[in-house]
Amino acid sequence: MKAIWNKACLAVVVSAAIGVSASAQAADDCPLPGNLRVVIGSTSTGGDTYQNSSIVVDRLADKLDINAKVDAVGVMPGFQALERSRHGNTVMIFHDGAYLGNLYGVNGYPDIFSKFIVGPTIAINPGNAYLVPKDSPYQSMSDIIEAAGDGKQVKVAIQPGSVSEIGFSALKNAVRMKYPGKEGNIVAVNTGSQADKNQLLFDGAVDVINGSVQANEQYTQLPADDQKAMRFVWITAREKTIAETDEAGMGDTTREQLLQYVTPNVSVPMSADRDFTFDKEFFFLYNKDMDPAAIECIDDALAEIYDEGEIQQQQKRSFFVPDFKPSQEAASYLKEKNDQYQTIISDLNG
Amino acid sequence: MDILSHLTPMFFALIAAGTSIGIIFGAIPGMTATMAVAVCLPLTYAFGLENGIALLLGLYVGGISGGMVPAVLINIPGTPSSITTTFDGYPMAKRGEGERALKIGIVASVFGGLFSAAVLFFFAPVLADFAIKFSYVEKFLIILLALTVIASLCSNMLMGVFSGVLGVWLSLIGTYSITEGGNGEPRLMFDFMQYYLIDGFSLLPVLIGIFGLTTVLLDAEKGFKDETGQGPISLKGGARFRFSVFKGQLLNLVRSSSIGTFVGILPGVGGSAASVLAYSQEKNFSRDSSQMGKGAPQGIVSSESSNNALTGGALVPLLSLGIPGDSTTAILIGAFTLQGIQVGPLFIGNNLDTWYLMIIALLAANVLMFGIMYFAIRHIAKVIEVPKYILYPLIIMMCVVGAYAINYGIMFDVWTLLIFGVFGWVAHKIGLETVPLIIGFILGKSAEVYFVKSLESYGNYSIFFTKSPIAMFLWVLIAVSLAFAIYLRVRNRRQAPVES
Amino acid sequence: MESQWLSLLDVTIDFDQSHLFFPRIVTWILVALLAIILITRYRLLVPGLKRAGRVLIGREGEFDHRRFFGTLALTTAYFYLMGVLSDVFPNTGYSFLIMSVLFVFLLSLLYVDRPTRRLFVILVLNALIAPTLAWYVLAQLFRITLP
Repeated sequence: MKAIWNKACLAVVVSAAIGVSASAQAADDCPLPGNLRVVIGSTSTGGDTYQNSSIVVDRLADKLDINAKVDAVGVMPGFQALERSRHGNTVMIFHDGAYLGNLYGVNGYPDIFSKFIVGPTIAINPGNAYLVPKDSPYQSMSDIIEAAGDGKQVKVAIQPGSVSEIGFSALKNAVRMKYPGKEGNIVAVNTGSQADKNQLLFDGAVDVINGSVQANEQYTQLPADDQKAMRFVWITAREKTIAETDEAGMGDTTREQLLQYVTPNVSVPMSADRDFTFDKEFFFLYNKDMDPAAIECIDDALAEIYDEGEIQQQQKRSFFVPDFKPSQEAASYLKEKNDQYQTIISDLNG
Repeated sequence: MDILSHLTPMFFALIAAGTSIGIIFGAIPGMTATMAVAVCLPLTYAFGLENGIALLLGLYVGGISGGMVPAVLINIPGTPSSITTTFDGYPMAKRGEGERALKIGIVASVFGGLFSAAVLFFFAPVLADFAIKFSYVEKFLIILLALTVIASLCSNMLMGVFSGVLGVWLSLIGTYSITEGGNGEPRLMFDFMQYYLIDGFSLLPVLIGIFGLTTVLLDAEKGFKDETGQGPISLKGGARFRFSVFKGQLLNLVRSSSIGTFVGILPGVGGSAASVLAYSQEKNFSRDSSQMGKGAPQGIVSSESSNNALTGGALVPLLSLGIPGDSTTAILIGAFTLQGIQVGPLFIGNNLDTWYLMIIALLAANVLMFGIMYFAIRHIAKVIEVPKYILYPLIIMMCVVGAYAINYGIMFDVWTLLIFGVFGWVAHKIGLETVPLIIGFILGKSAEVYFVKSLESYGNYSIFFTKSPIAMFLWVLIAVSLAFAIYLRVRNRRQAPVES
Repeated sequence: MESQWLSLLDVTIDFDQSHLFFPRIVTWILVALLAIILITRYRLLVPGLKRAGRVLIGREGEFDHRRFFGTLALTTAYFYLMGVLSDVFPNTGYSFLIMSVLFVFLLSLLYVDRPTRRLFVILVLNALIAPTLAWYVLAQLFRITLP
């Protein structure tokens, strides 16, 4: 019996020792914990946020020689975990939804620019798109704007308060500019997952849905007599973003074809001389009290990773566009983006 | 075709490994098939698509099947879909027929699994086209139908219905989730609770609280008097397993497997509804259902065949629409996107090899599950001989792991476990019925979304009756299901006036 | 005529208030059912409550106070301290490991009637090995996030 005792104690001591050494700090000049937790603003491990985060975090962990784990906790638990973690044990990766939620006044969304530190951007998902049934009378976004100006109601399926709504707001705003007072003809049908949006389109309950190149491309390849067949009308990304994707594009749709759906070929005006664009960008968020040295450390490590050039290949294979900006540059860039969309949203409300 | 080149020993070894790990995850209270798939997802990157899929499908099938083990042996469902297995499995285990009950469950599982794999293989595109006929309205009615089973499952109609509605009510606490298309506003709680309850209570902690922790509390209250040194239930005695038990069960097997497959096909209806629906249909329509709930093999057969049939069903919308049929297949999507494979209506046509490999993997996983469990069951069943003073602390510990891990590390979920453990104990004392309550809880959120969204789009209550022939047919089913439940209740009361 | 009847069933849901629509219906059904239960069973209610009170304070019935409240207290302490300790050892699962060892041991001890020397050793071993194994397999091999 005594032997078992000794062995058991030994096992505990040894495993504890291994653990302690692993949790020691990463490097002398890098005040990061040995076990970094990366929470993301999505509960899905099949979604773009998780995929993107795991690509970046795996390489970051290698570079810094630490353990890092992506946890798909969702928006609010993510913000809460970030808020509690003063010592930088937890960081967050999320996309533009982080500040759009606040702009749309969604319950519980803080102002990320004052409550947290906005860290580096890492990639763009260029796929945010709007689709119509293949046999839809609307051939382009201007058809839709004209129809609304004509007094026809256009129903658009979106998920409220986030990335999915911003293109809808821009469309509504474009109608407001061209046909003041008619913007009410663009009607939001608030729904949830991509499955629900597709279903509304199949039911004929909406005219347009928000979707993505990744999730909906195959539906655009179906024959027109299929109830499920769809057609792209708008991809919200900037032209230069799509231009950076792989030439093969997505599925059977080439980059060349995708470019037909972005500005300037498809125009949803935001002001007299500018089209609206929206790139869904992924970036880090840190606790307000995070050590600046640690932030710099992650910046530097990411800069090295992006300099090596392998990560870009990996991101492009998954239809992401690499887009690294170090913390400070990213923060002011995103703040500017925030202000731009704030104008649209408040114009519509006012 | 280079499909044969993928059928390497590695391919089958990974299916076997996945199935075994899945069974273990499923068998530990608090751990689920979903969790097993989630934790192994990052591994698939290293294996490549075919081998990764082999592993994950093994985990999926194993995890769902493993859920029956604690359901039968300690009356705690290992996964939400094995709730109904406890109804007859545990009474059998108490009679000393734990091993028999598990073997019945395994055979039923493998039937359900193979049945749904066959349906998937032959009818996936057709069924996907049928599934998209189900809009919000029809989905709400399916959920209503699933809720009517409360009437046939409860022991007292009034308390049962009240418990079911209470379950729905509890599920609505939190915000009206934006990701479901809600407006993100909180309800049914005070402001100070918002910090923790913004996403409401999660299903798994509630489930293992009510079934796991409550069981511990109820036994603690009785003081474990009779059992220091030895287990509560012996494995000896009782009838032994024979395949002849399946005589006359073919209709039950086919019906339950069909229900399981079909519920799996409908995205968003919630996989746990499958076994509940199948169980109550067996209770309503079988020739003799008087023993169900007291340890009848037919109950285990319907529960286990339907929840394993879910696997093939849930893959139908995933592979032919790019839409997951349940929470586990939602994670499977990740395996495809991580490898850069698009899932959508063209998936099968564009990836024929992968498609065949998946079917082979699914079949192999079911066969391996059968082999592994059938021969390991004698040893697994010994769990009930472990004294409770050893077993119970470990169950609570594993429930903590499950609750904490289900949403990737949220401490409030652990507290939910405790809250609902105590709640379950109180409910027991005041005569609330936990099974209707949990069914209400599982279905409540989807019921809300589908109900409210139907009315938002159509603006009239009559839509639920007039939307489509499918809607009308579902009303007929609802009426029949309710009528049978009431009829059986009246008949049983007449037959057994002494017992009550 | 028909359309008039149908219009009685008309309903408009304001999106801003839609979060209250369904909960209101469910709450009303719940209240109605509760009322029916109270009306049909009020005679059972008062004696039932009295009996429950007496059982809880230990005047009546077989109720193992030590084990019941001990389980509750230990579980609460386990969860609470695990949360506190996880801030000391963030993202390692050590908090889970340490607290589980203590909890499993204490709860087993609480449930055992006559702890013999042999039994004591078994409990200690169980409390050391099982949580360590769980922690090692789940947190280290499968990399599941633990407190």
